Amino acid sequence: MTASTDLRRTALHDDHARMGARMVPFAGFLMPVQYAGVLREHDAVRHRAGLFDLSHMAQFVLEGERVAEWAETLTINAVGSMKPMQARYNIFCNAQGGAHDDTIFYRLDGRWLLVVNGANAEKMWAHLQANRADDVRLTNLHGSRALIAIQGPKSVEMLQPHTNVDLANVKYYFCAEGSVYGHPAVIARTGYTGEDGFELFVDGEHASEIWNALLRDHAQDGLEACGLGARDVLRLEAGMPLYGHELTEEITPVQAGLQWALKTAKPEFIGRNALIEQMERDDYARVVGLVMEGRVPAREGYKVFLGDREVGEVRSGSMAPSVGGKNIATALVAKDAATVGTVLAVEIRGAKHDATVVQLPFYKRAK
Amino acid sequence: MAQPADLLYSKEHEWVKIEGETALVGITDYAQNSLGDIVYVELPRVGKQIDQFGNVGVVESVKAVSDLFTPIGGEVVEINGALENDPAAVNRDPYGAGWLFKVKLTNAGETGNLLSAADYEKIATE
Repeated sequence: MTASTDLRRTALHDDHARMGARMVPFAGFLMPVQYAGVLREHDAVRHRAGLFDLSHMAQFVLEGERVAEWAETLTINAVGSMKPMQARYNIFCNAQGGAHDDTIFYRLDGRWLLVVNGANAEKMWAHLQANRADDVRLTNLHGSRALIAIQGPKSVEMLQPHTNVDLANVKYYFCAEGSVYGHPAVIARTGYTGEDGFELFVDGEHASEIWNALLRDHAQDGLEACGLGARDVLRLEAGMPLYGHELTEEITPVQAGLQWALKTAKPEFIGRNALIEQMERDDYARVVGLVMEGRVPAREGYKVFLGDREVGEVRSGSMAPSVGGKNIATALVAKDAATVGTVLAVEIRGAKHDATVVQLPFYKRAK
Repeated sequence: MAQPADLLYSKEHEWVKIEGETALVGITDYAQNSLGDIVYVELPRVGKQIDQFGNVGVVESVKAVSDLFTPIGGEVVEINGALENDPAAVNRDPYGAGWLFKVKLTNAGETGNLLSAADYEKIATE
């Protein structure tokens, strides 16, 4: 076990402690896994809004005329075609097509913001350094800049009174630079919950004031502090991959069903040949959604069977309040077990439980 | 929530209510609070012989699977079937509607291995 003293603390650590959050080690930080309870927090995000501390995620600033051109060679999605203030999901792969990390690029005014998973921060920083170009400047803000997300259908009305940015003009997967409670912020309409919402990139020294002011001003509207537990259920329902589960150094974006983010028309990028070859062979194991028939939850690592044949394993699993309270899972399974409607079996403590392959996502918000 | 004084407790955070030759078993308020929202409880079959402190099932929260140990040995004579459709009863009412199973005691002397409410309180608040 890692002693909690070895763990880094976000700018909001003392607020989490004061509010009685349950803290757990995550990505080298001591992070809140829950406040009032996972189901209550989940409900707040689906119906009102929830507030998340995501400061464990790493923020890198990329500067220079050739950032886009350089980043194109390291990533599978297009960078150069991004409009000013646009955000775009992107994946850095290894030469075999496996994923180093899945990330979001934000094209700001005169610089780029790259947000990478907290658990991959050191690996990704080393990867960027190893592939650096002379005219691209990299700055690592991991741990010094904070990230607060407000997610849920009431996000706009809760955030609007406290920012000088007209949020109606910030479209999905775009961002703006402005202020929140008078403090400078990049306000991005991005998230990881399947709901409308914003991610606020702010200086660590202002994070606590913004966090507490939002809760003070909107607790009566149902805004709840949320932990990583609720976030994981929300993202799984929304069919979003979590690095280390649906995407790894071994599981490629093609296997994870992220072909929409793969731009093979780009002439050269790390992993391109391997990914194209994998798509052409089309014999790979792939990530599917499963809905369990019974009440027993499927968990990561459980074996999956088609008849008597083992065809793969569960990668994530949870009870899903937004899918009728059923147990849902993702599983990496053989191609012939991956057709929607196929009934598979998940082995749980020696017993097999039926599960049906379904189209992802499990949950889609009403527009 | 205070620990009911008329129950006995295990270090693994289960409670036992002795009712003559049988005993009712559940998990403590501390345990349900630590686990968080409970979504599934797997209990031993009726008729099964279980040994004191043995692993007899699981309690699953949204995020985690936890082993369930029995604080007392005997033959399982009844399980709380209502938990199949309402596992959250363990969160709401761990000492009442959230009881888990009932055993016919094999050896009443096993109660000597359990803790009083006051002694359990010290463990749960450490």
